[in-house]
Amino acid sequence: MVLTERVAPAPVKSVAEGAPPRRPNKSQGVAYLFLAPWLLGAIGLTVAPMVVSLYLSFTDYDLFNTPNWVGVDNYVKLFSDDPRYLQSVGVTLRYVAVSVPLKLLLALGVALLLNSLRGLGQAFFRSAFYAPSLLGASVGLALAWRAIFDTWVDTPDMALTTIILLSAWQFGAPMVIFLAGLQQIPRDMLDAAEVDGAGWWRRLFSIVLPMLSPVMFFNLVLETIHAFQAFTQAFVVSGGRGGPADSTLFYTLYLYERGFTEFRMGSASAMAWVLLVVIAVITAVLFRTSRYWVFYGDER
Amino acid sequence: MKAHKVVGLLIGAALVASGCGGGGGTASGGPAEIKFVWWGNDDRAKLTNEAVKLFQERNSNIKVTTSFQNFQTYFEKLSTEIAGGNAPDVIQMDYRYLNEYAGRNVLLDLTPNLGKEIRTADWNQGFIGSGKLNNKQVAMPLAQNATAIAYDPKLFADAGVEEPAIGWTWQDYKDRAGKIQAKNENKIAGSTDFGGTEDVFETWLRQRGKKLYADDGKLGYTKDDLKAFWQLSKDFRDAKATTPPELVTTLNAGAEQSPLGKKLSASEHSYDSLFGGYNTVRPNELKLGPYPSDSKDSLGSYRKPSQLISVSARTKAKDASIKLVDFLLNDPDAGKILGANRGLPANLKVREQVSQNLTGTNKVIFEYEKSVDAKLGDAPAAPPKGDGAIYKLMQRTHEEVVFGKKSIDQALEDFFGEAERALS
Repeated sequence: MVLTERVAPAPVKSVAEGAPPRRPNKSQGVAYLFLAPWLLGAIGLTVAPMVVSLYLSFTDYDLFNTPNWVGVDNYVKLFSDDPRYLQSVGVTLRYVAVSVPLKLLLALGVALLLNSLRGLGQAFFRSAFYAPSLLGASVGLALAWRAIFDTWVDTPDMALTTIILLSAWQFGAPMVIFLAGLQQIPRDMLDAAEVDGAGWWRRLFSIVLPMLSPVMFFNLVLETIHAFQAFTQAFVVSGGRGGPADSTLFYTLYLYERGFTEFRMGSASAMAWVLLVVIAVITAVLFRTSRYWVFYGDER
Repeated sequence: MKAHKVVGLLIGAALVASGCGGGGGTASGGPAEIKFVWWGNDDRAKLTNEAVKLFQERNSNIKVTTSFQNFQTYFEKLSTEIAGGNAPDVIQMDYRYLNEYAGRNVLLDLTPNLGKEIRTADWNQGFIGSGKLNNKQVAMPLAQNATAIAYDPKLFADAGVEEPAIGWTWQDYKDRAGKIQAKNENKIAGSTDFGGTEDVFETWLRQRGKKLYADDGKLGYTKDDLKAFWQLSKDFRDAKATTPPELVTTLNAGAEQSPLGKKLSASEHSYDSLFGGYNTVRPNELKLGPYPSDSKDSLGSYRKPSQLISVSARTKAKDASIKLVDFLLNDPDAGKILGANRGLPANLKVREQVSQNLTGTNKVIFEYEKSVDAKLGDAPAAPPKGDGAIYKLMQRTHEEVVFGKKSIDQALEDFFGEAERALS
């Protein structure tokens, strides 16, 4: 994800403070030269297709024939003429609302546990807990999951829960980031608190969590964005249909069906843009709330 | 964003395709490279690749690359490839999707080649017409199949009930399936729930003298028809004669994955051409029988093109592609290799030749077709655009009924609303 490169976790700050001020750079051309491979990829594979898809979202493009301009028709129809669209929005919101907190709690819990270990033990368990995430996006794992929870995924009431559990189980990435954050917390601060008589819980709530809040924020934003885009697991577990009875009709799955099995690529593009805007708005809201609960070390 | 990435890939694919497309041979008889795709399973892939190999041996200047998927993913991949300007040259096509693709001008009109490059002298002329849309021959039927009940004769015998045979009714089916299920203490169902499958619904409609689509392409049935059909499926469930809700699966998942293939059901509605798939997972255990029918005259089944074969309208190797099509359809040696894997060969001479020397799967399929042949009707016109969506819609809305999410009446309301939208 591009975002990992842009929103760096805050603890990096403490390092930056010690660095000498940056010299003004005369030859920016060299910088662009080195950036070129990335820029080419970003423009060719991300920006340009996005612009095309924005255009297509205002057309009746059907994959095969020349698109015709239909104005905002695709957008209007999504909300006025399509019960399945609302179903897919509902499924996705439920998934995001449950799977993100669950995954982050698990990641934080395991990170705290691992942080209390030292030496080889930590390295081993860190790898062990991270393993499911490495395999996470793989189709094979989703297939295995499907086979294990056979009856669950074939029952409408349990199918979504199964996919939520599958996603929560892959808590490795946020866990590693939490762990890095935990190791940035100054040892002397914790020692001082301990000398002052603070117990484990007191240290957790008064020092560890506040110091960790920038990392929590980072993980929250990232995982929320990921969750909205969840596709692979739902696609594989439901056999590509979002079933049974539309109970796992994720937004992305419906979008895919629209575009590639119903050939309504214009409408699918409109769906993608609605998703993009919703994710942008939710991310912005998260950023707004961050000022009330995210604590950067330099504040008083 | 996933969608954008997908679009990106498409554009990338388009660029690559347009950049590299110049190399393909165009001159008649010159070297050419063509891509041939189909849906099916390993069993079919083995035979098809063998036939393609023979074709290449005889035409050393033509190189054929092949690929296959299961039915569902096949059409998703195909649409993407065509949109990306990377269309395969020779395409196995489904009756249900014929209008979907031909209506969008992506299939080559083979009319000028009929009787010439594509030999048709040994064909049932009526059957050729099943590949025709608006007077354009956009596909050639590859083989003929018909709806059938695939079943496990041992389970029928153990429960002391008769096997499917012409003349049996839906009531008979329910009674026998109920007895089988009781005998197996509900661990093996008597039948597979059929209420969500449009293929079964179509056959059932035809038994009652109706059609899936009227001549103008609108729905050929009313709410009452579908209601009666869903009620029939519910009667099976109430009588404990069919699979439980969590096994509501489809033919699309492949015979291997179906309740009968997994030995969770004693019988299911299917196509005779799928028998090879069943036979892979349950070798020599299963048989084919006719659909039950309440009509004395009609089984509802018809001579269906089990698959068709088309050439892409944008192919750069038209002659080589047509040559491959003709080879697969008409060459006696290709016929020998392919057997009845896709159903009965369309070329009657090839069919005759294959029937001389029948073994295993081919034998079962041929004997079944022979036993019902007198009762088979001609194929209806290819379903209109939107049928692919309605097929899935029926499955989905029926699932909602089975899981008790909706009453039959509510589901009917939703079904007809969405179906009419899909056809518009």
